Amino acid sequence: MRNKLSHFAIPYVVWMALFVVAPIIMVVVYAFSAAEGGFTLDNFANMGTYAVVFGRSFKLALIATAVCLLIGYPVSYMMSKEGPRFQRAAMVLIMLPMWINFLLRTYSWMSILENNGLLNRLFQRIGLIALYNQVFGTDIEFFHMLNTQGAVVLGMVYNYLPFMILPIYSVIIKLDHSLIEAARDLGANSFNVFRRVILPLSFPGILSGITMVFVPSVSTFAISKMLGGGTDLLLGDLIEQQFLGGAYNPQLGAAISLVMMVIVVVCMVVMNRFGEGEEQAVML
Amino acid sequence: MKKNSAFNRIFTALVFLFLYAPILLLIVFSFNKGNSNTVWAGFSLDWYQKLFRDRLIMQSVYTTLLVSLLATAIATAAGTFAAIGFYSLRRRKRAALTTVNNIPMMNADIVTGVAMCLFFVAFFTLWSDFAVWFNGVQHVIELPTRLTLGFGTLLIAHVTFNIPYVILSVSPKLRQMDKNLVDAAMDLGCTWMQAFWKVILPEIKPGIVSGALTAFTMSVDDFIISYFTAGSSSSTLAMTIYGMTKKRVTPEINAISTLLFVTVLLLLVIVNIREARLERRGGQAAVRRRGPLAQRVSRTLSTPKGQWLRRGTAAALAAAFVISVTVLTSATNAQSVVNVCSWGEYIDEELITQFEEETGIIVNYQTAESNEALYSLLKSGAGDYDVIVPSDYMISQLIEEDMLAELDYGNIPNFDLIDQRFKNLPYDPENKYTVPYAWGTVGIIYNTAMVDEPITSWGAMFDTKYAGNVLMFRNSRDAMATALLYLGYSLNTTDEGELREAFQLLADAKKNGVYQSFVMDEIYQKMEGGNAAIGAYYAGDYLTMLENNEDLAFVIPDEGSNWFMDAMCVLKDAPHKEEAEAWINFIASTDANLANMDYIWYASPNEEALEQYPAYYEELYEEELDPAIYEIMAAPQEILDRCESYLVLPPETRMLYNTLWTELGI
Repeated sequence: MRNKLSHFAIPYVVWMALFVVAPIIMVVVYAFSAAEGGFTLDNFANMGTYAVVFGRSFKLALIATAVCLLIGYPVSYMMSKEGPRFQRAAMVLIMLPMWINFLLRTYSWMSILENNGLLNRLFQRIGLIALYNQVFGTDIEFFHMLNTQGAVVLGMVYNYLPFMILPIYSVIIKLDHSLIEAARDLGANSFNVFRRVILPLSFPGILSGITMVFVPSVSTFAISKMLGGGTDLLLGDLIEQQFLGGAYNPQLGAAISLVMMVIVVVCMVVMNRFGEGEEQAVML
Repeated sequence: MKKNSAFNRIFTALVFLFLYAPILLLIVFSFNKGNSNTVWAGFSLDWYQKLFRDRLIMQSVYTTLLVSLLATAIATAAGTFAAIGFYSLRRRKRAALTTVNNIPMMNADIVTGVAMCLFFVAFFTLWSDFAVWFNGVQHVIELPTRLTLGFGTLLIAHVTFNIPYVILSVSPKLRQMDKNLVDAAMDLGCTWMQAFWKVILPEIKPGIVSGALTAFTMSVDDFIISYFTAGSSSSTLAMTIYGMTKKRVTPEINAISTLLFVTVLLLLVIVNIREARLERRGGQAAVRRRGPLAQRVSRTLSTPKGQWLRRGTAAALAAAFVISVTVLTSATNAQSVVNVCSWGEYIDEELITQFEEETGIIVNYQTAESNEALYSLLKSGAGDYDVIVPSDYMISQLIEEDMLAELDYGNIPNFDLIDQRFKNLPYDPENKYTVPYAWGTVGIIYNTAMVDEPITSWGAMFDTKYAGNVLMFRNSRDAMATALLYLGYSLNTTDEGELREAFQLLADAKKNGVYQSFVMDEIYQKMEGGNAAIGAYYAGDYLTMLENNEDLAFVIPDEGSNWFMDAMCVLKDAPHKEEAEAWINFIASTDANLANMDYIWYASPNEEALEQYPAYYEELYEEELDPAIYEIMAAPQEILDRCESYLVLPPETRMLYNTLWTELGI
């Protein structure tokens, strides 16, 4: 009977071969071919030129992931300590923004951060800018917030924070309470209970949270275009530019995608070695 | 556990404020009278009314819901079977397959999107060879030879990234299931099919439902993968919004988002209230129920009381399936459509409606960002248009690459109305491929409230005095042109030294922080809102901005500038060539040109329209057209003499442009 049921997997295996494996093979083929056809390594030869972009993307994505973790972990932890009714409402509130398209939410940030945007107007109104000018002897009319790397990080944190909170929360909520009681009975104070029991046990959640924030952050192109002003490219922008943007060169685009994919996979494998048992981690 | 302190609660509250501030803003401004997202002009419901009349948005909402529902239904069924199959496999095989299954989830969306786009296009090429051969050897079945990206590929892509989420939530339920149950059922005489329906399925149902919900949410939220796989004929709401964020987002989008948001909110509230009631009745046992929302919803669905909900869902899925089959079949029927790709804010949309009413041909109107982006869209196979409106130099390039169809001017009698001086231009010397659409000049737009002296030179685009306040073109040809003009070189230079010098000028200015950002149509919002002082852009668009901000001035600098002609062409293998020619003829008419001139403020190539426009304006607005404005709109010959038009560059130079352009971004 087991064998019969295993036939159920066949259609999907075919589907995966067609639409998961074959497309990735296409990327590899493109990465190693010249525009006129034929094998070449030229697409990789210039990869050094783009090292800056790789560096910038990984830096911003790492910062965003760290910020998400620093905000997301405490929030998940505190949520788990509230009553069931609060938790329910909080879960709804965290998932709800995903139903408003992320481009629109990001666009909304544009109008908040603009030089003449809502935040700067607010600062002018309450005299913060005048105060700043007085203290630092400057003569500014607004804070320059949009089109900076900080704005890009803010966009990433804003869009991907729920992906950090949800897996961590769902791990913490399933913790066996008798473990915590046992630790306390054995004389651990609350800091030690947290550090020695809760934190290690919530590790799988943290790991999948990190993955779910880091991967989209490192490859985004819409957020950086909208909040970063498009002057400093990120990896996603670079790839998009080679395919549908202003510098058509799909072979180079495929090569960059391939390198990015390899780096990300290596990072994930290394990270998962640190936290065996990640299989239990819940995604969303 | 200890309760949270006040400090902790404030922290949590702040995080929620952070999550909701932009959303509240969206909702508030959907009721705004004006079309700004920052300035409140009074309460109104106008945008909601407009929304339901806006076909582009409604169509994309429909596509989004349809593709999400279908993909969810297919992925849920397929994913459930696959999970059961995986579960029944031997450990080693299972581990290998699970790894492959995780690829779409772990991979960056952009890589998945790009990979699928490449795959589909390669497949289409193979298919077309096969179909031609197949149609040649037999005549019983006629296979379509030309496949394109569209709803089908979009659906496949969505199903592919949804299945892993379903498997992910079904697998744990299978693992929790008591294995002996199945064996017991078999021992008691069940066939394995019965065992599946009667034993396995009820056990894993909660996993299936939560997988379906996750898949649906992912589908609705997705932008990047759709962007690469949907082609030009179907666009999801996310893609429509992305197109708009590049110029102006109409508050109609705020309105539709508010509606979606409120609907989901209500649904969730209802589900939660029901559950809270059950809990109160159910006592202890129910209180223990916690966990992710998806799981709780699924539990609600599987209670007897949730039966109506379940039936509703089933009915909705069935309805979606029927609708989509109808849509797909009707779409494949040769319906009168024409796919047009133009630039943003480049047509009076009334004309589209008018054309549709007159001819019954549906216009699918899309926009591209720049000539270079249009070229990428065409080359990558992501853009499948009939009519495009590229500029002069790009037309030459497309002709050179044999991508345009020769027009049948017998179908375009209005071509005779085009001014003689705009016929047989260098990009199409024998005028076999094009009908001019509009022309204009490039210049510097500046805000007189933010710049204290009149600007007369392209040097302003590189001057550190204006650091952080300058907007530069986000396309290589125009951006390089500003530098070439300043340096006194030809816009069409192929000299590598001159080009590198121009590039260096741009790169240094960028390094010194002169540029606030690289923009295309985003410039409207930035210049109108006084968020930048100086920007180079097109004359017609300046006049549109002037309507919203009177402080703006326009100048064609002393060094000269570029004058351009955008012309309508039909792509070589366009499936709707006749409709395309009907559209071109309609747009070339004097009436359409007058309406367009009035709306987009670009000069018309139609001789009558160009002459009549000042009178037309006077009649319409009952005031005289300011000659200065007319001069900016339709530059007189002596200004055009100072300007140079772009010519197509040889392939090596184009390659150099691409390389330099990519380098500038680094």
